[in-house]
Amino acid sequence: MNDMRTLERAVEQTENKISARDVQVWYGDKHAIKDVNVDILDKTVTAFIGPSGCGKSTFLRCLNRMNDTIDISRVEGKIMLDGEDIYDRRVDPVQLRARVGMVFQKPNPFPKSIFDNVAYGPRIHGLARNRAELDEIVERSLRGAALWNEVKDRLQDPGTGLSGGQQQRLCIARAVATQPEVLLMDEPCSALDPIATGQVEELIDQLRAEFSVVIVTHSMQQAARVSQKTAFFHLGNLVEYGSTDDIFTNPRDPRTESYISGRIG
Amino acid sequence: MSDATFSGGQKASLLVADPHTRKRNAAESRFRGYGLAAIIVSMVMLVVLLFTILTGGLGAFRQTYLEIPVTLDAAQLDKSGTRDPEAIKKVLTLTYGKILQQALDKAIADKGIQVADLSDKDRAGLISKEASAQLRNRVLADPELIGQTVETRVLVNGRVDGYYKGRVSMESAARDGNTSPAQLQLADALKAQGMLATTWNWSFLTMPDSSDQRPESAGVGIAILGSLYMMLVVLVLSVPIGVAASIYLEEFAPKNRWTDIIEVNISNLAAVPSIVFGILGLAAFINFAGLPQSAPIVGGLVLTLMTLPTIIIATRAALKAVPPSIRDAALGVGASRMQSVFHHVLPLALPGILTGTIIGLAQALGETAPLLLIGMVAFVKNFPAAPPDGLFDPASALPVQVFNWTQRADPAFMERASGAIIVLLVFLLCMNLLAIFLRRKFERRW
Repeated sequence: MNDMRTLERAVEQTENKISARDVQVWYGDKHAIKDVNVDILDKTVTAFIGPSGCGKSTFLRCLNRMNDTIDISRVEGKIMLDGEDIYDRRVDPVQLRARVGMVFQKPNPFPKSIFDNVAYGPRIHGLARNRAELDEIVERSLRGAALWNEVKDRLQDPGTGLSGGQQQRLCIARAVATQPEVLLMDEPCSALDPIATGQVEELIDQLRAEFSVVIVTHSMQQAARVSQKTAFFHLGNLVEYGSTDDIFTNPRDPRTESYISGRIG
Repeated sequence: MSDATFSGGQKASLLVADPHTRKRNAAESRFRGYGLAAIIVSMVMLVVLLFTILTGGLGAFRQTYLEIPVTLDAAQLDKSGTRDPEAIKKVLTLTYGKILQQALDKAIADKGIQVADLSDKDRAGLISKEASAQLRNRVLADPELIGQTVETRVLVNGRVDGYYKGRVSMESAARDGNTSPAQLQLADALKAQGMLATTWNWSFLTMPDSSDQRPESAGVGIAILGSLYMMLVVLVLSVPIGVAASIYLEEFAPKNRWTDIIEVNISNLAAVPSIVFGILGLAAFINFAGLPQSAPIVGGLVLTLMTLPTIIIATRAALKAVPPSIRDAALGVGASRMQSVFHHVLPLALPGILTGTIIGLAQALGETAPLLLIGMVAFVKNFPAAPPDGLFDPASALPVQVFNWTQRADPAFMERASGAIIVLLVFLLCMNLLAIFLRRKFERRW
């Protein structure tokens, strides 16, 4: 497997953050996710890999109920966040999404200033009582996203004027600013060049200290580089889930082996 | 893969176009030709249209006046001598006509103007019938003028006015019962004395419509006011309703059979002939709701119904054009649907919404047919009051005024109609400029 580095990273955490039980998703008549059971650990990077259309993004979007915005989608089963079912009728998805943040495939900053991009979440959730606190949250978030030094002198410039990699880190800062517990990333590097990808990956590794990070990726190398746990999806099934090292060096399922060795996908 | 499969014949030179390429190039240049021809034809049409309207209508903005001293004889105008307004009001326009006539006769005599074959009728007909009414209004407004000799601008007959705008010639005057060559010669003589001049005509923009006999005093004042009031009603009603409906349909409503039916019907409404809306307005607003006829409020309501589909369709298109990634981004940080729409989607859609709204308003401004049915074609001589009460007073509208004037017999009204079209076009141009300005101002690039 050429020069892929499977770093030796101990998975210290054993506490479950999210537990999914028998999750089924339909898009109209299409059964997109079948019987997925998975436990996502706190303060850990979990990677979802698999060929296109295998359902990994769909499953990710179930974790903060972004699928609710698609009329034809239907979710069954239980997804527990800290032991509470997020599909319970009493759960307000808006409240859920403040705790489970999301970064998307294409950098999508608001067409507003860098400051307003980051401050938007804290503003709508009332996290800052005054301007000084808001300034502090913005600075902390931008530092957390390793962007502060590059933009501190031009916080009022439009966020859309940044480079692709900077835009994606701005989106991460925006997600971090609402102080979530889980950060979902849907192929965050697929629109970035290798250097920007490297920066974002480094950032993901740092984010692990505070959040439970779930990342969907097309690149097996990326999964190997950034994650401690990996889940392999195929045709809507969760084929194999385990520590990243095991999946890449010692896959149990023949489908996993075929995929990581490049025979399918 | 063997090479022999593809390189069958000998290699063609790149320096010579092969027949297939030549054919494609010919097709392309033909297509460019068609396109260019279409543009040229439409430009020519536009130029012809503007030329016709401007040559026909610019005359309406100039008017011929007689400047003569008029002695307001107290013995005729205020027999009681008390300057009591009630007493002065009893003096009819007819008397003022006589006073103007005396003033003109005196001016002619003073300057020693001699015109062959000048009949009394010619001399009397030089002054517009409207002039005496205007003088009476002036005196009623300021009774102190009685007894004085005041310089007065007197409207002249429409034929004489037309003579100085090239519409009437000596030859046509000879065949015309309303004027005569002698009358025109008298006008020429007065002009030579500096007493008669064709000047800028503000009153075209401020005066109400006039009767068939007095084209020289017809103006678009009430029509402008009526159109303005209607636009006010349309703006206040159609923008909030239209934008709210579009936001609901586009962002909140579930996509099911009902919303499909609503969508189809909105598109259908946009295609309904405007006269049908007029009938609807007549039945619903006048006959059923009992609103007054010819009132801008009814016109505004009917035009609102007409404009709503346009605004809804434009707004929905503008909302659709906002990339979904922006909605995802807002929802992803925990914004509610409403917050994502009002904080992010709506500001981005604003230029499109504004453009659609102004195009809708411009369409409504030029609409004639439905207004005919709700009585706005009536002859209105009194200005409507200020809003909101004025919305219920009878008024006219610019396009209806154009329609109305083109129906009249006197060719002077044709000139007025073209003038009204110019006013209408200026209004539309201003609205379109506003649309462009707003779009530039609110447009965000990313």
